[in-house]
Amino acid sequence: MAFLKVDFVTKYFAGSNGTGDLCVFRDVHFNIEKGEFVTMVGHSGCGKTTLLNIIAGLETPSKGGIILDGKEVTDPGLDRMVVFQNFSLMPWMTAYENIGIAVRAAYPKWDRQRIDEYVQQYIDMVGLTGSEHKRPAALSGGMRQRVGLARAFAVQPKVLLLDEPFAQIDALTRGVIQEELVRMWMATKNTVFMVTHDVDEAILLSDKIALMTDSPEARLAEIIEVTVPRPRSRETLIDHPEYTRIRKYIIHFLVERSRKIQEQGQR
Amino acid sequence: MSTSSLRDPFDPDVSLNHMGHAESVSHSDANHEPQTAEAITDRVVESAIVRSVFGHDLRRREFLRLVGSSTALAVLSSVFPLAAAKAVAQEKTGPIEKKDLKVGFIPITCATPIIMAEPMGFYKKHGLNVQVYKASGWAMIRDLAINRETDATHMLTPMPLAFTMGAGSQEVPFIMPAVENINGQAITLHKKHKGVKSAQEMKGFKFAVPFDYSIHNFLLRYYLAEGGVDPDKEVQIRVLPPPEMVANLKADNLDGILAPDPFNQRAVYEDAAFIYMLSKEIWPGHPCCAFAARKDFSEKYPNTFKALFKAIVEATQYAHQASNRKEIAKAISPRNYLNQPVEVVEQVLTGVFPDGLGNTRNVPDRIDFDPFPWHSMAIWILTQMKRWGYIKGDVNYQKIAEEVYLAAECREVMKSLGYKAPSQNSTKHNFLLGKTKVFDPAKPEDYIKSFAIRRA
Amino acid sequence: MNGINQVAKSKERQKVIISSLLFLVVFILFWQLNTKPSVGGKTEGLPGPLAVAERAWEMLSNPFYDGGPNDKGIGVQLLYSLGRLAVGYSAASIVAIFLGVVLGLYPTLYRAANTYVQILKPISPLAWMPLFLYTIKHSGWAAVMVIFMSSLWPTLANTAFGVSSIRRDFLNVSSLLQLSWFRRLFKVILPAAAPAIVAGLRISIGSAWIAIVAAEMLIGGTGIGYFVWNEWNNLQLNSVIFAILTIGVVGVLLDLGFVRLAKAVSYTE
Repeated sequence: MAFLKVDFVTKYFAGSNGTGDLCVFRDVHFNIEKGEFVTMVGHSGCGKTTLLNIIAGLETPSKGGIILDGKEVTDPGLDRMVVFQNFSLMPWMTAYENIGIAVRAAYPKWDRQRIDEYVQQYIDMVGLTGSEHKRPAALSGGMRQRVGLARAFAVQPKVLLLDEPFAQIDALTRGVIQEELVRMWMATKNTVFMVTHDVDEAILLSDKIALMTDSPEARLAEIIEVTVPRPRSRETLIDHPEYTRIRKYIIHFLVERSRKIQEQGQR
Repeated sequence: MSTSSLRDPFDPDVSLNHMGHAESVSHSDANHEPQTAEAITDRVVESAIVRSVFGHDLRRREFLRLVGSSTALAVLSSVFPLAAAKAVAQEKTGPIEKKDLKVGFIPITCATPIIMAEPMGFYKKHGLNVQVYKASGWAMIRDLAINRETDATHMLTPMPLAFTMGAGSQEVPFIMPAVENINGQAITLHKKHKGVKSAQEMKGFKFAVPFDYSIHNFLLRYYLAEGGVDPDKEVQIRVLPPPEMVANLKADNLDGILAPDPFNQRAVYEDAAFIYMLSKEIWPGHPCCAFAARKDFSEKYPNTFKALFKAIVEATQYAHQASNRKEIAKAISPRNYLNQPVEVVEQVLTGVFPDGLGNTRNVPDRIDFDPFPWHSMAIWILTQMKRWGYIKGDVNYQKIAEEVYLAAECREVMKSLGYKAPSQNSTKHNFLLGKTKVFDPAKPEDYIKSFAIRRA
Repeated sequence: MNGINQVAKSKERQKVIISSLLFLVVFILFWQLNTKPSVGGKTEGLPGPLAVAERAWEMLSNPFYDGGPNDKGIGVQLLYSLGRLAVGYSAASIVAIFLGVVLGLYPTLYRAANTYVQILKPISPLAWMPLFLYTIKHSGWAAVMVIFMSSLWPTLANTAFGVSSIRRDFLNVSSLLQLSWFRRLFKVILPAAAPAIVAGLRISIGSAWIAIVAAEMLIGGTGIGYFVWNEWNNLQLNSVIFAILTIGVVGVLLDLGFVRLAKAVSYTE
């Protein structure tokens, strides 16, 4: 029994100017096993963020549904925590408080002391010791996302959803955080679904990569396995032959498929 | 002492005639004769009231036979504050129900008895702890009285009549046991009109009066109409609180005012205006302001009401003495009361004053204090209210006057304090102004129709 | 580098203070030169700054005296006015913030209610006075209601706007965390909208203070507005001017309080 099932999900958006409904993607159907790290790759606008939001319960599917651990899920909840592209930290709270409010929500019966210890643990885990009493405005992009990651991991969700988490972080910091994420994931063995358009990132982090075609009428084209053995690091990855093969494959997909569809459209 | 006039007025078999025809005295009559002094007084009051309502003895007996005496008693009680009247007539006051009272006033010299009773100890003498509360205008006074925020209030003499009839406010029955002052107003004109000598020259003027239901408004209209000027069509009459009148005269917003003192004198003091005519020169002895209360206050707290009433009547009589006026002026000028310069208040109260035209005049009864609320005064006011269209339809002048102006009760209180009071409730009044006009209260409708300028 | 900045800043500040004082001196001289001296207690036209200062000294040296119900010290009068302000303003603020949050979270309701808010907003609170007196039947409470009406609209409008402008992200996070409505309101919505709410509160207290002075002139009793009216009755303009200045000073202090509050709740995104 698959842990997370995306069950023939279709999404329409109401068309503007009365041109009729726009279908973003149709019949997306795949499974994620427990403890797997799956990434979805596709061009901007193919609906991957929308799909992630549907899994998180922040948006509703037009057709189909999401089944987690045998039960259908429709509302947002702590069992599917999200890490956002723009960090989504509460600017009036300190880093500590941002994580704290999530921990309070996840473990309402804990007392003050236990929460404090727990939060501190995660602060240390993401390397923010000493900055926990700063507000997000005083933190760099990388540090903010570390808070975001700490917050998400701290609630120990069944599924961790990452929505282009490092897109707004500078390239140099990005690499560092990616490796930190892998380390954290290997320690906790969460089930992860990530969305990105950074191919290298996908290969570095995931067990499987799902390829989406372009919108409208986007579909899940195929799922490929990342055959590079773990543990992986940026340094060792680029030398591995499987990395090069998979990378080429994906880029061909992205370029070729998009071209094909454009041609189809012109006919 | 014969108690024959004290037969039960609610017994249809009894005649209340004092003279002549002896009626058969039934057994029941003997049983109902009052024995104690208190009971006698009670009976006096009841008889007086029943007599004044029914007049003719035969009518009374018909009525009583028809409805029965307990109903009659109930009906009369709803119209007359029997309990209050009885309490008033008693020599000794019963225990006071409510010691701490608030009495509202407007800072004008008309309210002198109400105001002076506090610093000069008249309220205290009768066992009351009264706070005199300054209001900012007549509308405020009305609201304070109706909302029971004040227990008794300084009002303009037409106001209790108007409110009892539901004109200018919700319909709330008021009683006016005493007049505060008579005379004490003046027509004051802007100094640029120093040459004006008659009403005809006032066409197009902008006047101010303190309130629609005020003796000022009615006197001004009377004066203008007698001079052939239509007050609704040929001049503008505005309502302004008296304190604002002086400022407006100074600012040249008004041509004249018919205002209460001390504002006429203050306007002269500020070199903005001159006194054209004193109100006593229009109607000598006219009533101006009154002491009024909600009818239900007098019914709920009859002893308190009586004590208050006595205090006011005493203060009024004290103020009537010319020799006391200077002392009073000093007592009521401070900021807590009138808040006016002492000289101005003295000039008003003593009647020795500069008139703004360079003369010093000596008119001792420029303002005077006499508590007796003549029913005929009420009737005159009612005729003027009908004349100018403030009330419409048929008016039972006598009935309303009696309901509101408690002449009988005032007489009782004055006598109990040792003062002389008129023996009648109504009289004819003389108006000056060239041809002396007489007002006969027995013929109100004819009086209204005798005017050339009127709205009804 | 910092050192040079500091010096430049303090020089700038000095210039501002000196110019400000200069304005004041020029104004007072101008005022004094344009008033005629008082003759025998009666003044012609406006009293000068010296007369006002004298009166101010008199009032301030015994601010809490009680000469009867219609004559109390300036301290007492201000306290009464501030008391009424506090009651009416607090009540209005609570109602306004609550309603504002509701309108901000439900755009349909917001649009539906907006027409009425726009109609009621510009009505002078004093125009409501007669209606309140008639229905409430108590002059003191009618005055408090006048303050209520004048403090309501700016806070309501600003709160609704602030809440409706909250970034979707914050609301998403609170959904994901499955926060109770209580925590959602107090930990997310109110802090997020706080700068807008405080801006509304600041405007409201200004208009409420203005309204209470005017209302007191109408109802009498005790209060700074009544004090102005009472002094005007006796044409004591020096008292009136002094009272006006105190009203202004109190207004400034109230406003400064809210500036402080605004700083405390502000945040950068």
